[in-house]
Amino acid sequence: MKALVWRVARVGARVGVVLAVLLAWQALSATGALPSQEFPSATGTFAALGRVLQSAELWHAIRDTLAGWALGLLIGASLAILIGTVLGLNRFAYRSAIPVIEFLKTVPIIAILPLAILLFGATLKMKFLLIAFGVFWPMVIQVIYGVRSIDPTVRDTARVLQLRGARRFAVVTMPSAAPFIMTGLRVAAATALVLDIVAELIGGGAGLGLSILFAQNAGPSEVTTMYAYIVVTGLLGVLVTGLFILLERRVLHWHPSQRNLRPQDVG
Amino acid sequence: MWARTRPAARAWPLAPARRGRGAARRLPGPLATAARAVLGLWLMVVLVALWWVLSRDSTSPYFPPLRAIVDRLVDLWIVGSAKAELVPSLEHFAVGYALAGVLGIVTGAVLWRLRWLREATSPMLYFCYVLPSAATLPALITIFGIGDTMKIMVIALAAVWPTLLNTVDGMKGVDPLKLDTASVLHLSQAQTLRWVVLPAALPQIVAGLRSSLQIAIILMVVSELVASTTGIGFFILNAQQSFAIIDMWTGIIVLAFVGTALNVIFVLIERRVLAWYYGARATQEAA
Amino acid sequence: MEPIVSVRKLRKVYVLGKSDERVALEDVSFDVHKGDFVCVVGPSGAGKTTLLRCISGLMPPTSGDAYFEGQELTSVPDRIGVVFQDYSQSLYPWLSISRNIALPLKVRGVDKATRQARIEEVLHSVGLPDVGKRYPWQLSGGMQQRVAIARALAYQPDLLLLDEPFASVDAPTRFGLEDLILRVRTEFDVTVVLVTHDIDEAVYLADRVVVLSGSPSVVREIVDVPLPQPRSQATTRSDERFVQLRQSLLGLVTVQ
Repeated sequence: MKALVWRVARVGARVGVVLAVLLAWQALSATGALPSQEFPSATGTFAALGRVLQSAELWHAIRDTLAGWALGLLIGASLAILIGTVLGLNRFAYRSAIPVIEFLKTVPIIAILPLAILLFGATLKMKFLLIAFGVFWPMVIQVIYGVRSIDPTVRDTARVLQLRGARRFAVVTMPSAAPFIMTGLRVAAATALVLDIVAELIGGGAGLGLSILFAQNAGPSEVTTMYAYIVVTGLLGVLVTGLFILLERRVLHWHPSQRNLRPQDVG
Repeated sequence: MWARTRPAARAWPLAPARRGRGAARRLPGPLATAARAVLGLWLMVVLVALWWVLSRDSTSPYFPPLRAIVDRLVDLWIVGSAKAELVPSLEHFAVGYALAGVLGIVTGAVLWRLRWLREATSPMLYFCYVLPSAATLPALITIFGIGDTMKIMVIALAAVWPTLLNTVDGMKGVDPLKLDTASVLHLSQAQTLRWVVLPAALPQIVAGLRSSLQIAIILMVVSELVASTTGIGFFILNAQQSFAIIDMWTGIIVLAFVGTALNVIFVLIERRVLAWYYGARATQEAA
Repeated sequence: MEPIVSVRKLRKVYVLGKSDERVALEDVSFDVHKGDFVCVVGPSGAGKTTLLRCISGLMPPTSGDAYFEGQELTSVPDRIGVVFQDYSQSLYPWLSISRNIALPLKVRGVDKATRQARIEEVLHSVGLPDVGKRYPWQLSGGMQQRVAIARALAYQPDLLLLDEPFASVDAPTRFGLEDLILRVRTEFDVTVVLVTHDIDEAVYLADRVVVLSGSPSVVREIVDVPLPQPRSQATTRSDERFVQLRQSLLGLVTVQ
């Protein structure tokens, strides 16, 4: 009973905070403390949000953003897993490759954006190639470390059980590497979204970023629309991150980090 | 609630050199170090050489010969005054990042102490964390205009979240046994925070600061790609728009080096600060 | 009849050639005959685990020889089973218990029906008939170690090696596991070499005890344990000879 009360109180507190922030926002803009040119009112933003959710443009923009994100992530992550695994399995290969990859990982992808715009214009192709490139480097490092990070007892057991070749790779190496790979994937998904929006905002690729820019350029009358689009982008972020957290939980259900270490309930 | 980087499954950047097996072990000290250096560098050298050779006779407007790029780089950046472009960029970065770091850690500590506040605000904080920061750029421009303040605010407001959330998580994750020990030793709240909680949470806080670093770098450039007249980002964009492709390439390379340099500096500081942590982990793993 | 395990002047040095070189084993020689139950004891740091790794083929010696069934060891022979101390990593946490046990059987080409039967048989032997579908980490430490033993026995090895297998479980559980290992040794007709730091355990279980000196280790003595079989926690441990053997072993292990 007490636990239930606590849960309700907690949810209530969270809702309360959100409401309090909205009320404060509304009050500040109504009294003119926040200049209405730059800060729309809370109600205004919500009205705009309602309006925008019904417009076809929003959903086209979401589709465009997601298209770039999904393609870029798919290409970048797949290549990273493939190449990372190959590199990770060979000592010489990964010792040689890691310094180069670590260097390239620190290069801000933004630096490549103007080049990408030059080569491909403000297109979906530009977006997903940029995203794939940006997502690849940190992820391939994660895959390499994952493939190499096999626990000594796990490895010894594999030798004793006479596990070799493809079977060993599938049954031992990959699951061992899975926590690293899943972490890398989760981070990659978030990075991909960030790069996506930047490519749209600056590169002019179609999507939510561009819509935000249009709304901003349309002047004070569209300020509420701009904020509405920003909120939608945030919600997309919540969706994407949530999706990958769930995925991680599912795939790594056996890993100590995911299971609540239950009291020994069997004898 | 939010999935933060768990140190256990995270890739350690520039992982501390493991005792070499194979050839590197059989050689005496200095030769072994040299062998390791060669192993780490040969691919980089080969790739650069390949780029040089393959682009030598290039007629493509987008991929000029590496030689021409290097010449221009020397002219513009080493001999010339283009490096002045880096100064405003790095200033904004430094202030913005420092702000984000301090704000993140302080707020994180406050939220850790005031559990009810943390629980109540966590959905809002999570929302801000996953919101792609670039999306807020137009709004921030509307509010702050297009000057220095805007750029610093953009960097700070975007980079604060990983540090903040990792600080909270790191402090939350401190072994309760350590806290019990502190109270048994009659440490005050402030002393416990300073001498026990903060150091224990430090590895995770540093992981957050690392993520914040990447975001700060990205936004440093992004803020200059939109409505700016100075900075390295502006330089690259301007070059691209005026079709000075070779200049653009020099900008990209310089930015790459700057990004790398900042990361290397970070890692060096990290190693000093977390030396005790690396040592403890090493003995743990060897056991 | 040639011994199943034969170790001759075994020497193992870690980090050979460098300043922090460490001699774990200096000169170790002994035999293990088929059907024996041999325990290896010694002060901590004596290289007991190192010795086991050399006998299993997991680690090559620096010099000297280790033979299994007359053949020199170059890799881990497939007639050997090993139970490691760290069951949380040795039993693969991403596989169910049945799948864990099935693994070595699949490698050896055992068909599905036989696999199933074998899995049930070994789980039954270790007293865990119904846990197949569960995951290892859902069981207590003692039970996980039983599963590890079951897995090692599933492919009917000639030799079973155990590296401080009961060190991580509490005392009552340990007694149950000790009796288990004696029982399966008879039931499966398998030779056992068990490394332990617990002298009482060594005397209780073994036919012979190999006592290692501190590192760099040599065989200090090999002690016969002529206590009657079958052993029993209640009676054997209070037997006068048990107490005497225990005393003398304690003396051997603690004196440098």
